[in-house]
Amino acid sequence: MSEKTAPGGRILLVEDEESMAVGLEYNLTEEGYRVTRAENGTQALELFTGHEFDLIILDIMLPFKDGFEVAREIRVTSPRMPILMLTARSDSRDRIRGLEFGADDYMTKPFHLKELLLRVRRMLQRKAWYKEVTAEQPSYHFGENSVDFETLECRSGSRIFRMTALEAMVLKYLINNAGRIVSRKELLEKVWRVSAEVETRTVDNFIVRLRRHFEPDPARPRYIRSVRGAGYQFEKENARNG
Amino acid sequence: MKIKTTRYYHILVFIAAQVAWLLVLGLWIFRWVTSFLLINRVVETAPGEMPTRSSNILGLVGGLVLLAAVQVGMSLNFRRLNIHFNLNRMYDNFIANVTHELKSPLASIQLHLETLGHRDVPPARRREFIDLMNRDVKRLDGLINTILVIPGLEQKKIAYEFHVHNAENLVLDLVRKAEEQFQPGKGAIRVRGRAPCRCVVDRNAMGIVINNLVDNAIKYSPPPLRLTITLSCTSRWFVLEAADRGIGIAPADHKKVFEKFYRGDRPDSPSVKGTGLGLYWVREIIRAHGGRISLQSAGLGGGSEFRIELPIYRVSRKRFIRNLIRLTQRQKKQRKSDHE
Repeated sequence: MSEKTAPGGRILLVEDEESMAVGLEYNLTEEGYRVTRAENGTQALELFTGHEFDLIILDIMLPFKDGFEVAREIRVTSPRMPILMLTARSDSRDRIRGLEFGADDYMTKPFHLKELLLRVRRMLQRKAWYKEVTAEQPSYHFGENSVDFETLECRSGSRIFRMTALEAMVLKYLINNAGRIVSRKELLEKVWRVSAEVETRTVDNFIVRLRRHFEPDPARPRYIRSVRGAGYQFEKENARNG
Repeated sequence: MKIKTTRYYHILVFIAAQVAWLLVLGLWIFRWVTSFLLINRVVETAPGEMPTRSSNILGLVGGLVLLAAVQVGMSLNFRRLNIHFNLNRMYDNFIANVTHELKSPLASIQLHLETLGHRDVPPARRREFIDLMNRDVKRLDGLINTILVIPGLEQKKIAYEFHVHNAENLVLDLVRKAEEQFQPGKGAIRVRGRAPCRCVVDRNAMGIVINNLVDNAIKYSPPPLRLTITLSCTSRWFVLEAADRGIGIAPADHKKVFEKFYRGDRPDSPSVKGTGLGLYWVREIIRAHGGRISLQSAGLGGGSEFRIELPIYRVSRKRFIRNLIRLTQRQKKQRKSDHE
């Protein structure tokens, strides 16, 4: 159906609807992934604690513990675990809540199988890339800021906070290409792993969030600078690797 | 969020109106008392009776009555608005639940169709996917029927087919059918007691009642399911009690569970499926049979027991029962003529 990448990736499929779970398990297994299935929120957390997974596909309306709660608890111990929320709830409030609770992606039912498989593949590719680049350089300091790319914990002056996995990926890509102008198209292709025809406002929104986190004055950025008509550039000022 | 804000605003306006109303009343009484005292003083100094005194008292009483009427009007409006807000909230919940219930089987069907269309699925799995799709189609059909029956229930337009049945035999048969449908496992549902009385019942409608009780027990009990149905007859009623060992229902919600769209939202619930229409439908069916339904639960974690009472076929109730049978025949004739 699609080219088989990341064979052997371990996926935790949390779905209480038997029919949906059987269909997804079959398709993911056919793509080369190893799938473990949980039927409710409590079972999902138990399985997550006892096993290693590369990605979680998580329904929201689950018995005993809903998907929001499961995502929140997983994020406490695994801030970088890719979570794809797959739910029949299409309300924008649910979508925002899902992303706030730590989901990396959100798909509503009914969905197209090809699109789901593509998103799963890209999330796993992103994870593999991130793992590779952070192994070389697990932390980074610039100005009054420090970032731990393993735990996603950051410090900006006296303020301590935690970035989302995708924010960390964007920052990491900019740092790795410090001094060079990185276009929105490039960020979309390399970090989001999507075609550059997609709305580029997504990139701008992430840059705004990163500036709020790290810039002393987000209106006049010192580290993540905009280059009109070209993209963004990370300034190496006083930076040192960890 | 918007609804919440509007509600706070509405409560604030009501409180402000009450404060303004009390201030007006206070000022008005103060003014009346001071003028009354002033007039009294004038009367004491000048001989003769003041002709305005009696009309003043009438004015006071009339004013108070009018102010009380304004207050009653405001309170009634406030109550109606509150009902409206609650209904809106329940309706939103209902839409969210129905959306979920409709989209879930639809998504599964789409997934299986795309799988069969794009992959070379082995015959055994192909059969399995088709069976799952059939199950989803049945689920969609059941849900749509439930939604469509609600306007009929509200306008009392549901056509029942009442017949005299032996209560015990009927329930045993319906429980067996529910077991076939839900497959709760061997020994999960136990029927105890004897009920050698006869009742006037619509078999299909009573099947919906039993199915709903079994479905609820399955949805809200941690496995394994234990549902005990006890049958008995009193001099006037056939009594069916269905007790499970599920998560129970808080005393404050015992009546609410029969309300339309109501769903107990608990994060630790063993099930998330449902529209909030099942027990409402059950209550309407029991009422149409001249019976009553109630719920007893020791509270959260204490299991639930539904008690259904149906009038038995006896002389004392014959008039009511004959009415029901007559109504059924009339509805049957009506349907026949509609078909012709």
